[in-house]
Amino acid sequence: MVHETVIGLTGAPEPLDQSEAEPGRQTEPYAGPDEGSLMSRVLLIEDDAETAREIMAELVDRGFEVDWAATGIEGLDKARAGEADVMIVDRLLPGVDGLTIIEVARQERVCKPVLVLSALGAVDDRVRGLRAGGDDYLTKPFAIQELIARIEALLRRPSENPDTVLRVGSLELDLLSRTAKRGDRTIDLLPREFRLLEYMMRRKDQLLTRAMLFEEVWNYKFVPQSNLVDVHMGRLRRKVDATNEQPMIHSVRREGFILRAPA
Amino acid sequence: MRLPEFTRSTTFRWTLAVSGAFIVCILLMFGFILAQAYSYMTTDVDALNNEIANAIASHEPEQRILGLDQYLRADPHHVKLGGLFAADGRRIAGNIETLPPMLHGDAGAQLASLIKIDGGAREQQAVRAVARGLPEGGTLVIARSDYEFTWIAHIVERTLAVGLIPALCLSLAVGVFLSFRAQRRIEEVNSKIQRIVAGELRERLPARGTDDPFDKLAELVNGMLGEIEVLVRRLEGVGDDIAHDLRTPLTRVRVSLERARQKAGNLDELRRSVDQALVGLDQSLAIITALLRISEIEHSRRMDGFRNVALGDLVREVGDLYEPIAEDKKVDFAVRAEAETTVHGDRDLLFEAIANLVDNAVKFTPQGGRVELSLLRQGNEAVVRVRDSGPGIPADEGELVTRRFYRSDKSRRDPGLGLGLSLVSAIAKLHGFSLKISSGPGCVAELAGQSATA
Repeated sequence: MVHETVIGLTGAPEPLDQSEAEPGRQTEPYAGPDEGSLMSRVLLIEDDAETAREIMAELVDRGFEVDWAATGIEGLDKARAGEADVMIVDRLLPGVDGLTIIEVARQERVCKPVLVLSALGAVDDRVRGLRAGGDDYLTKPFAIQELIARIEALLRRPSENPDTVLRVGSLELDLLSRTAKRGDRTIDLLPREFRLLEYMMRRKDQLLTRAMLFEEVWNYKFVPQSNLVDVHMGRLRRKVDATNEQPMIHSVRREGFILRAPA
Repeated sequence: MRLPEFTRSTTFRWTLAVSGAFIVCILLMFGFILAQAYSYMTTDVDALNNEIANAIASHEPEQRILGLDQYLRADPHHVKLGGLFAADGRRIAGNIETLPPMLHGDAGAQLASLIKIDGGAREQQAVRAVARGLPEGGTLVIARSDYEFTWIAHIVERTLAVGLIPALCLSLAVGVFLSFRAQRRIEEVNSKIQRIVAGELRERLPARGTDDPFDKLAELVNGMLGEIEVLVRRLEGVGDDIAHDLRTPLTRVRVSLERARQKAGNLDELRRSVDQALVGLDQSLAIITALLRISEIEHSRRMDGFRNVALGDLVREVGDLYEPIAEDKKVDFAVRAEAETTVHGDRDLLFEAIANLVDNAVKFTPQGGRVELSLLRQGNEAVVRVRDSGPGIPADEGELVTRRFYRSDKSRRDPGLGLGLSLVSAIAKLHGFSLKISSGPGCVAELAGQSATA
């Protein structure tokens, strides 16, 4: 079932020809994370009831337990209790500012990941949000899928793996020698492709949206007009998944990409 | 009593003030003339009186009476007075009734009031008179009435009456006319302005094309109105463009949803149609997001995020990002960033701007074409130039392309939001950079800004 709910407006324009690029490699729409993150508790601090209701409905559908605080003060209390696994905090709240909540929570050693939501019209809000201790940042209007993908990414943030070799199935990425192999086959990667693959391998089995990839791999927070991410991903895919091999990089229709070990 | 409207106008008051000053000047001038004439005539009359008095006094006593009579008899204008008085003040001859006390002895020329007797008539007159004491006692008085002077004064009075009063009336009339005219013009302007305020943007203030300041002011205001009209029309145009660009994808959404509702036989068919509809919705939403982003950049005056940005790295990164796209499209893509320069700005926004220029260039260059991205230094300026071998921009569209939603008619069918260049233009403006779009063969876009010194 496709849940294409847009909160206000969408974040990223979907490239029109994404599905044509690699026919036959479409997987079914992303249905949610594996059992691992089930029953995670989300604290949603959002004053707009309608937005909150939509976010809650979607989160509950995906198996989250949601706690909603409609005011800054209520949110601050719940954040300090530290019971949630992840927090979604609106930047502008009546009573207490969203960033203040994060700062206070951080001072009290609540180290659960925080996603900051903000209205359009604040270019440098992102910087301040992250400086206050937010872990990710989403500008309203956003697509609900984008929010879910980011929440899941925050919940399953890769622990600082001391291994210098990443492995997914037969795919191996050596971070020291900067080389990649699939089975015995050596893969030649350009620096940017190496970074992209590293990012995906650290987040295997997770839905990664185009906006997330563009932000994390290219470090730019804007919505490119062309299907930039798709083209780069297409190149990486041709290198990772050779014609006679089981595909590992999957497109999720309208949403993003997932790296998965072949079954 | 309330004065009529025009008397309160500045023009009218100035006219009054000028006329008043003019009249005072004329009065002063005539006064001066009169004073001069009087003093000249006095000197003249006194000299004459003295001469005659001397002549008569030098005669023998018997001859004096005769001489005085002769002198007095030749007097067509009745201005001459004379009298011969004995030592005891008794009149011996002449037409002066009594000897006034101040004319005893050798009194000099002076103004005196004497009674003239002419036959039986007595008449008091103001005269210039001299007196001579006679050797055997007695006094000779010779006087002359200031009749000529009175006459001249009379002429002056009449001249003033005839000349000044009409002049005064004339200047009043001119004042009234001028202030009426000014008032009528202001009323004209007023009514035009009210029509403009009411929305008649095509209306202009009346101008006669002369050099007068009022006309110049009207021309200035008209120029301003023209500018405003262009801006308003452009804004209206933007509204139309937004409506049009949103309607196209939304219509598609509606059509596919309607078809799905009527024709879809199974879940897969329904999904396909819904997906199609979603593409259209995403497109509309992307347009709105892009619009909001542009106005966000246009209205942000904040430069907190400004740092020194190495343009060389930025250009290479954009090149890195777009190289695969160009290759997919079989467009030759060259990146040249030999000049290392830094500028003061927001790194993310500058990246976005350059990326948009390259995006456009790649989009509009046909297969087998060429796109060049280069960083140059021209004097103090860093210039990022994107040149493509696409169809270029017609010369008359050079400025239009940075307008929101503007898409050259030739490219209407190409995908794109038509907002890329207005975004670049907004970013350039925020940085104080210049954005030049020119047409070679192909299209050349140049983003130029002051190099940072440090």
